[in-house]
Amino acid sequence: MKKLLIASALLASATTALAESTPIVGNVQTRCLITTDTNGVFGNPLPSKLSTASGDGGVVPVVRYDVTLADAYLAKVTTPTAFSLSPSLSDSVTWTGSTQVSKTSDAAMSGYEAAKITYGSTTQFDLTKAGSTWFSSTATAVYGVSKSFPGGSYTAIVLAECIAK
Amino acid sequence: MRLFVVALAASLMASQAHSEYLYSISGNMAATGHTWGMNIGPSGSQSLKINGVFYQYTPVKNLEDDMLVHVRNKKVGGGYIFSITDDWSGLPGGIPITKGFVIDNLPIELWGDGSIDVEGSGSVVDANVVYSYKYNNDCLTPMSDPSCSGYTDAVLAMMGNTKIEAYDPLSDENIADLIDEKAELDEEVQQEDEEKVKAKDKLQRMLSGVNDSILYANVTSQNLLMFAMSRSNNLNPYYDKRLAGGEYKETVALNDGKLPDNKKGARVGLAQQLLHTEMVNAQYNQED
Repeated sequence: MKKLLIASALLASATTALAESTPIVGNVQTRCLITTDTNGVFGNPLPSKLSTASGDGGVVPVVRYDVTLADAYLAKVTTPTAFSLSPSLSDSVTWTGSTQVSKTSDAAMSGYEAAKITYGSTTQFDLTKAGSTWFSSTATAVYGVSKSFPGGSYTAIVLAECIAK
Repeated sequence: MRLFVVALAASLMASQAHSEYLYSISGNMAATGHTWGMNIGPSGSQSLKINGVFYQYTPVKNLEDDMLVHVRNKKVGGGYIFSITDDWSGLPGGIPITKGFVIDNLPIELWGDGSIDVEGSGSVVDANVVYSYKYNNDCLTPMSDPSCSGYTDAVLAMMGNTKIEAYDPLSDENIADLIDEKAELDEEVQQEDEEKVKAKDKLQRMLSGVNDSILYANVTSQNLLMFAMSRSNNLNPYYDKRLAGGEYKETVALNDGKLPDNKKGARVGLAQQLLHTEMVNAQYNQED
């Protein structure tokens, strides 16, 4: 009985000595790629207004979503609600903006626009098809009540996100 | 001689020619209508190959309408070399669609007219169709490459001779005479070769007969030699035999000292004599 206990102890210690942790590694390749297609530019049709609309002398920013897996992602595009860079402003700025589908690579994507959901300054699109979709955002900033923007450089950010369902 | 100089100059220029492809894109082929010809690339360019097609248009339609839009190019010889169909049935219009395709460098010679065709209810506006292509401009000047059309004319014009003469070596009498002489020489050589082959065969046959004779003679001489050797061995034992020596004494004794006539033998001898005589006589007494 004593020998048996010793043998068991040896086996147990041997088992403990052979234990090893094996890592499991893996890479997940993104199947949703966001690219800036066109950089936006603010036009200044009025002293108190900055706008990306082409009629206001601006350039509408365009982002492109390239999706290789259908019905797996949501596109969320948020128009700016503040300047990321601007001269010191002493009054409030009123922001308006919207995002729409500007171009698709598949006829079936033409339904994205009708199916979009808008809340606040964010517009959400359900990317049900694989391919490329271009979204354009317009943004307008009005300073105070017909108050002139101070001179300087103004920068605002359109946030584009691709969220897995 | 002048032709030779021209040919030499042409070959030198050809060795210096090289082809490098240039890449470019066409303008909007659908700018003036929904059908277009494939007149793209610089004039005179060679080996123009289409390597990409990009199109964009905006469909105009009601949501409930069925509508197919075909963007395609006819293929020279029949069929289509490029054909893409967008199905807008039950889908809203108004949003531009854009697509791009990589083409496997298909020669421009295969590309027929292009078109955007609408099937069903609706229309297409703001169409934009662009082809990307590659080409080499080696033939923008005909003397750039011997394969360019007008190469010979250009070279001769440069040499101050506008008369174009195609040189046919088979029509040259000197060359024709040389060809005939060579043919005759070849025929003679062939006959000599055949005679040599025949003589060689004959010599081989003769040598084969000689070889057989030599072989037979060798076998015969060997047989004789073996016979002589064996004969010596067979006869020698007889030379070695010895008779037992001594005296051999008479053992037969005549008791009464007389030796009587053999009457029985005399009778037999007489009978034989008589028979012999009769046989001899019978030869003469034979009646014809």
